[in-house]
Amino acid sequence: MSNSSDDRTAELRELFFESAQELIQALNEEALKLEKKPGDSEVVRSIRRIVHTLKGDAGACGYRELSELAHEFEDVLALEISSAEHDQMAEVALAAADVFAALIEAYRKKKKVPSAQALRARIHKLAAPPAKKTRRKKSASSLHFAWSEYERLAIRNALSQGKNVFNIAAQIDPVCAMPVAARQLIENALKTVGEVLAIRPEPGARDAARLVEAALSSQLAPQEIEAKCHIPSIVSKVTMETAQAAKQAKKAAGAEEPTKDVTEAPSPAPEEPGDSQAAAPTPSIAGAENILRVDAERIDNVLNLVGELIIGKSMLYQVMNEFARQHPKDTLRNKFADAMGFQARVLNDLQRAVMKIRMVPVEQLFRRFPRIVRDVAHQCGREVELVLTGQDTDLDKSILDAIAEPLTHMVRNAVSHGIEPAEERQRLGKSPQGTVQLDAYHQGNQVMVEVRDDGRGINVPRVRAKAIEMGLVTTQEAARLSDAEALDFIFRPGFSTAEEVTQISGRGVGMDVVQSVLQRMKASVSVETGAGEGTTFRLKLPLTLAIIKALMFTVEERLYAIPLNAVAEIARATEGGVHQVDNHEVLPLRNQMLPLVRLGHLPAEDTEKRSRKFFVLVINVGERKLGLIVNGLVGEEELVIKALDDQVVTTDLVSGASILGDGRVVLILNLAAIVERMGRMRPEEAGAVLSGLLFQHGESMTRKAGDSTGVEA
Amino acid sequence: MNRELHIVGFQVGRETYGVRIASLHEIVRLTEITAVPDAPEYIEGVINLRGKIVSVIDLRKRFGEKQIVANPKKNRILVVETHGRLTGLIVDSASDVIKIPAEDVEPPPAVFQDGGLNCVTGLGKYKDRLIVLLDMNKLLDRSSSQREEKSAEAKGAAAGQ
Repeated sequence: MSNSSDDRTAELRELFFESAQELIQALNEEALKLEKKPGDSEVVRSIRRIVHTLKGDAGACGYRELSELAHEFEDVLALEISSAEHDQMAEVALAAADVFAALIEAYRKKKKVPSAQALRARIHKLAAPPAKKTRRKKSASSLHFAWSEYERLAIRNALSQGKNVFNIAAQIDPVCAMPVAARQLIENALKTVGEVLAIRPEPGARDAARLVEAALSSQLAPQEIEAKCHIPSIVSKVTMETAQAAKQAKKAAGAEEPTKDVTEAPSPAPEEPGDSQAAAPTPSIAGAENILRVDAERIDNVLNLVGELIIGKSMLYQVMNEFARQHPKDTLRNKFADAMGFQARVLNDLQRAVMKIRMVPVEQLFRRFPRIVRDVAHQCGREVELVLTGQDTDLDKSILDAIAEPLTHMVRNAVSHGIEPAEERQRLGKSPQGTVQLDAYHQGNQVMVEVRDDGRGINVPRVRAKAIEMGLVTTQEAARLSDAEALDFIFRPGFSTAEEVTQISGRGVGMDVVQSVLQRMKASVSVETGAGEGTTFRLKLPLTLAIIKALMFTVEERLYAIPLNAVAEIARATEGGVHQVDNHEVLPLRNQMLPLVRLGHLPAEDTEKRSRKFFVLVINVGERKLGLIVNGLVGEEELVIKALDDQVVTTDLVSGASILGDGRVVLILNLAAIVERMGRMRPEEAGAVLSGLLFQHGESMTRKAGDSTGVEA
Repeated sequence: MNRELHIVGFQVGRETYGVRIASLHEIVRLTEITAVPDAPEYIEGVINLRGKIVSVIDLRKRFGEKQIVANPKKNRILVVETHGRLTGLIVDSASDVIKIPAEDVEPPPAVFQDGGLNCVTGLGKYKDRLIVLLDMNKLLDRSSSQREEKSAEAKGAAAGQ
């Protein structure tokens, strides 16, 4: 029994964590709205609804700290509705979102709950001054006369009987030492002139109020009542209005100013006007009905099974081919092939359907950025507008998760380093407010995500200088590098952490991390910049990580695969056709020189060498075209990618592995990393044509150090 | 104290080592190993273990054996699970489970600790032989940390120092 209830609690909590995350996100969004439009009562109400839901949910799951905190915050928000102009509100709401998120995270991980005292203090601070403010306001102009349902009924009855009803507000003299007694005195005075229909504070209230409000039905003239109320040294000021007018005013105001001074009220129940509750129904996240929440792990399991099925399919194909060879005339063969074709089609659909489950709009990621941009902009005193476009572009969930960190990093960079301070922008004739744009769109079989800013751009000469300083290139080499090539240095580890560069060129901390994350999932990042015009980082992401169409080939008997969509064409060539330019091998192909990457070793020098044939896979990596020299082609196949995530074998040259129908393991090469590796190795130092990239650990490195195994100069 | 340790013994070179049976996932015969480029030398590559891709370390290289005799009939891959991840270890041969009374196990000499060999948890005496008991977690942690150093070096080298 207890077990099943435990299970249910766990399930409930799981649900809570999910919905809480959305609530926090919504809270962030609303708080940002409030910051733009301080005092928008609609937004305040919406925040209050969110906090209210969070309070309820947390309470149901037994998370007391969160529930209580949310409750306190909710109270302040109730106050805020009546004096909604408080400018700190948005700030506190954002802080609250952070603290709530931290609490939820702690609950989820069953860690120690972080202290929320700082937030609590801020909430209390928020609660105190507006309370004073409301009182001051009451004494000055606007009077509330928020009577309860019953009292309003009594007033209406009195009015319908033709009596005059007055709303009276008596300000208790500040010097009066006993406000509670003063209230009693006023009530007594009022009773002598008519019938008291309602009075605030209520009888028996122990808290001192400086203002007594009452509804009085009386036949006397207003002046007489006022005179009666004026008790020297107790009442300093009396305001009166006829109830009719007050009622109309209330109607017009509607729910706009329903709640009174809750903290002052001894028993809040009658104070809480009914219509405020009606305006705040138990909220729900919009559109939740048609959405099924499924643990991502379950989908992954299904996807894995589909992957196994696809491996099974290729096993069957192999068996069928074997069968066809042994019994070429058997009629069963055709039936077999038909059944297989059918199965393949269904499998295809199944795979696509499952993949679609994993696709989520990038909005899920983008929506967190308004908050981040705001915070960073505040911290470094920039004025930044964030523009989001292409939010509905779909992307595999795991990719989305993987780019969250790098993208955050780049957006932060764009705000803090890219965008100039407002004065500087004005001096340059730009609008003082900088713009950071996040954009996502499909391009072919890939998804592009761009982070664009209109700031100062990257100081390319400075990057060059730094690269020389760090010994990454010589001065001559640096001069030869194109701007685009020089910019690649910002992705070098260590390059970014240099303090001066961060300040001057403005880019950097951890761009190497960004790149390594992206490379791990066969994605790439490119950068464009113009001095004074801004910088664009462009992420090129695969649609999915799970299954790719791949071209398989052998290099010196070893089997490898690359994504088929990277292959532009396949050419044949002989060793004799390869030219050497500046220690790089190139192949003339239709009047163009194609740089070659030799994955295997150079063949030994012999008479037959020049006529030896091989294949060249022409691949697109970023904007560049390269040829891979391979020995044999095996064919194309759909590969279910399995991560090669073991620390011990992880290499950036390989992006994943897959298991073939016959049980063999094939490695999928990471083209971007291969190209980068080739570019990093400098043939001048190696003193030889680069080759054997895929063969033996560090062989290419040791060769650089002077070892010339199997390579001729 | 007649507690017994259940140990799977295996040979690397002329030495006999042992691991607690609980830390072992399974023992498989040597299968086709796919080499991974750029991996450290003692990494043989990856194998397909019933649909899972498992990286394989050659313990013989790892322990610095000079002569590695391929003997497909006797060679085995010990599959161990550390931090929820499977890793294969090629050994020359593996024996049955042996039981060593806990009192026959001596703590490793201090020199092992100093020499960075903290993966040795003890020395077991079994039929006049010494069995070096290993902690697989520590062994593999060391491997991966070496790997990190190595890749850092490689990066430095590639950067053209």
